[in-house]
Amino acid sequence: MPMRSSRLATLILIVVACIVAAPLLAGAQTPKRGGTLRVSYGNEIAHLDFHTAPGYEMMWVAMNVGCGLVNITPDGKFVGDAAESWHTSPDGLLYTFKLRKNVLFHDGTPVDAAAVKFSIDRLMDPATKSGMRSFYDSVHSVEVLDPASVQIRLKQPYAFMLHMLAAYRTGLVLYSPTATQKYTLEDRKQGKPEAVVGCGPFKLVEWVKGGQLVMERFDKYFVPGLPYLDRVVIRVIKDPVTEMAAFKAGEIDFIASFSPDHVETLKAQNPRAQIMTGKETTPMLAAMKVTVPKDGKPMSKDRAPHPVFGDLRVRKAIGCYGIDRKEIVKIAFQGHATPWVGMNPPGTLDTVDVNYVCPYDQAKARALLAEAGYGPGKPLTFELMTNTEKSVFSVIATVIKEQMARVGVTANIRLVDKVSWMNTTLNDGPWDMYVEDLLSLITLDSNAYLSNSTSTWTHPRHNDKRTDELYARYARELDAAKRKAIAREIQEFFVENMYWNNISGSPFYMVAQPWMKGYVYNAEFEVHYDRVWLDK
Amino acid sequence: MRVYVLRRLLGIVPTVLMITFVVFVMMRSVPGDPVVALLGDAYDEQDAIKVRASYGLDQPILVQYAIWLGKLARGDWGVSYMTGRPVLKDVLVRLPVTLELIVLSMAVALAIAVPAAIIGALRQNTWADYTATTIAMIGVSIPEFFIGVLLLLVFSIGLGGLLPSSGWTYLPGTCPTMVCGASLWGNAQHVLLPAIALGVGRAAILTRLLRASMLEVIRTEYVTTARAKGLSERPVVLKHALKNALIPTVTVMGLQVGFLIGGAIVVETLFAMPGLGTFGIDAIIARDYQQVQGFALLTALAFVVMNLVVDLTYTFLDPRIRYA
Repeated sequence: MPMRSSRLATLILIVVACIVAAPLLAGAQTPKRGGTLRVSYGNEIAHLDFHTAPGYEMMWVAMNVGCGLVNITPDGKFVGDAAESWHTSPDGLLYTFKLRKNVLFHDGTPVDAAAVKFSIDRLMDPATKSGMRSFYDSVHSVEVLDPASVQIRLKQPYAFMLHMLAAYRTGLVLYSPTATQKYTLEDRKQGKPEAVVGCGPFKLVEWVKGGQLVMERFDKYFVPGLPYLDRVVIRVIKDPVTEMAAFKAGEIDFIASFSPDHVETLKAQNPRAQIMTGKETTPMLAAMKVTVPKDGKPMSKDRAPHPVFGDLRVRKAIGCYGIDRKEIVKIAFQGHATPWVGMNPPGTLDTVDVNYVCPYDQAKARALLAEAGYGPGKPLTFELMTNTEKSVFSVIATVIKEQMARVGVTANIRLVDKVSWMNTTLNDGPWDMYVEDLLSLITLDSNAYLSNSTSTWTHPRHNDKRTDELYARYARELDAAKRKAIAREIQEFFVENMYWNNISGSPFYMVAQPWMKGYVYNAEFEVHYDRVWLDK
Repeated sequence: MRVYVLRRLLGIVPTVLMITFVVFVMMRSVPGDPVVALLGDAYDEQDAIKVRASYGLDQPILVQYAIWLGKLARGDWGVSYMTGRPVLKDVLVRLPVTLELIVLSMAVALAIAVPAAIIGALRQNTWADYTATTIAMIGVSIPEFFIGVLLLLVFSIGLGGLLPSSGWTYLPGTCPTMVCGASLWGNAQHVLLPAIALGVGRAAILTRLLRASMLEVIRTEYVTTARAKGLSERPVVLKHALKNALIPTVTVMGLQVGFLIGGAIVVETLFAMPGLGTFGIDAIIARDYQQVQGFALLTALAFVVMNLVVDLTYTFLDPRIRYA
């Protein structure tokens, strides 16, 4: 009997404790409204015309000031943004979007079908010079069915239409036609708030280049109750040491992109900091130039093999067998990356592990070099270009130089700044190999404009039309299983021909104070503050 | 005097033009193309050709310079290729931050250098002299960024965030932004560490120079005479010796402005300050020629004007000096 009453007492105690604690626990998780989120960017925002500006920093503003048709969740599901629903025709040629009725631009004008058409037409117009234009190659036209329905007609099926609208670079950012027509491109580039009018959770208040960017809650945002924050203030802190000091001192709440080299130090200094990372979607590559202009004129269509890497045997000897990817990852990333020879990083849709094609094998590398005519009598020397954007590039270049020496090859490192690197690579300038991590890829399809035979951004300048044919088949294939098979074919093809020489994924980190709640790491491109709140 | 000032002011024009021309040519000789940075992901050779033409970048350098100069004569400093913002407006927004930093770092330098040099000179070859000389030597040897990082670690992290690590608070009434917490105290907190980081190296140089001048001056006959007249040590040192010893120091201070502008680039970047230094370095990195020209023009003007002021200061320090 006493035993029974003691059990009963315990049970009552537990029930009472649960009743008392429940609201407290619930209260701890209930988002609080208000407050200013202080954000640090490592680089300056180029300008604020979202359809044309380069750089992640602009994108992170665009996806908070702007809204689009659809968004993508971290697990790859599509959710409506300004569109409440959508459907695709069986032949995959028509995408019809039904728009929410209560969505407004920051200038008070409605987000209707005409506004969607206006924004897509603007992106597709060559005169706009948008970096997004090539992604709309499949789009034939945009039709307004009624104010709340818009239809995108494609020239051919495009399996990644929703991916593209949601997350290729900024995704589709809708612009207010009224504000866009009233103000000039210069006004938008300068970040005049009345000219940069989106439909996102925050409206632009001001941008002083070199000073700060301020966004405030848009009270008529179409998701009730959101955003929680009153204001977001972004400033640029370029030096990671200063960034760490500001974080440690509590001067900033969120670092949108944190240097991988300093993650361990930051962890040690701030044990309660939220250090967020996700799937590896950015390729770290040691690209090799395949062709050069025969007539010496940059970008000439008349091509000759590159004097060193025009020979596939040399590309394979150096890029495939001569590079020890595991060692690079261990030294440059302290093991926080995946050695990955395939062009589609391990966190990307339809990625395939093709590491087996290129095991580190010095003997094979030497044999291939000998076959190509290189050896002690005729040593191979090439230039390895790297840039100052990230210190890890130089570390990787140094390790590659050492690895090349092991197979009797001399790699001379040339360190340049980012603009010089862009200038050399984009303008078909003289380079042999470079180390860079290019950009985050959400799908293999989004890599086409960096690696097909026609894009300006295909730095190696291979002219293999088979790559275009493979990419086209992949993009048009609506059956997921068949698409996966083509994806494998593409990745194996690129490795076998060494048109794309990957080292590993490139890790990406975001850092938040313990009091910053509600933020979900999505992808490098995707930084949304709409559900963020401050627990302090 | 008035004629002299006028002549010097007129002399500034060719000097500044020469500097802007050299910078103009050098920037265009540096590898890299502003259009590449401008177009970014949308880069296409055909578009690039059109954009280059629209900015006049396809013209010969001399023609480009003449166009820039023509616009400058009309008060137009050009617009940034990247943002489309007027360069003059941008540099004027950032100038007060850098000016404040430079003035205060010079004040820091003098606050350290003058007493250290006097002590070192008056107590030559004593421990006080050796200490001042050694500290000066260390100050000269340590670069600004290193001192800056040390200050950050000590005052922003080590002492529990005693002083802010980065950013800027404007002086009341000077805030160029709409959202801005301007305050005198906030400004003092933000400028202190950068001013020390930038000023310490200059203090070291000035200490060594001023000490040497003081040593020379205190052995001159007029100082001996002053002492023989029964003047106490304080007026002898401060009024007779220091004032004369300052002449070479003031000359060097003028030249140091150039180094301070260079140092400001490093310090402003380290402390994430919205000044002219970060503006200049961003402009150079982006190959934004218009902004680089604006930066060069303003810093050149600041440098030559400062040196003119220094020259005019001589008359105050030594009444025997006359300009005609």
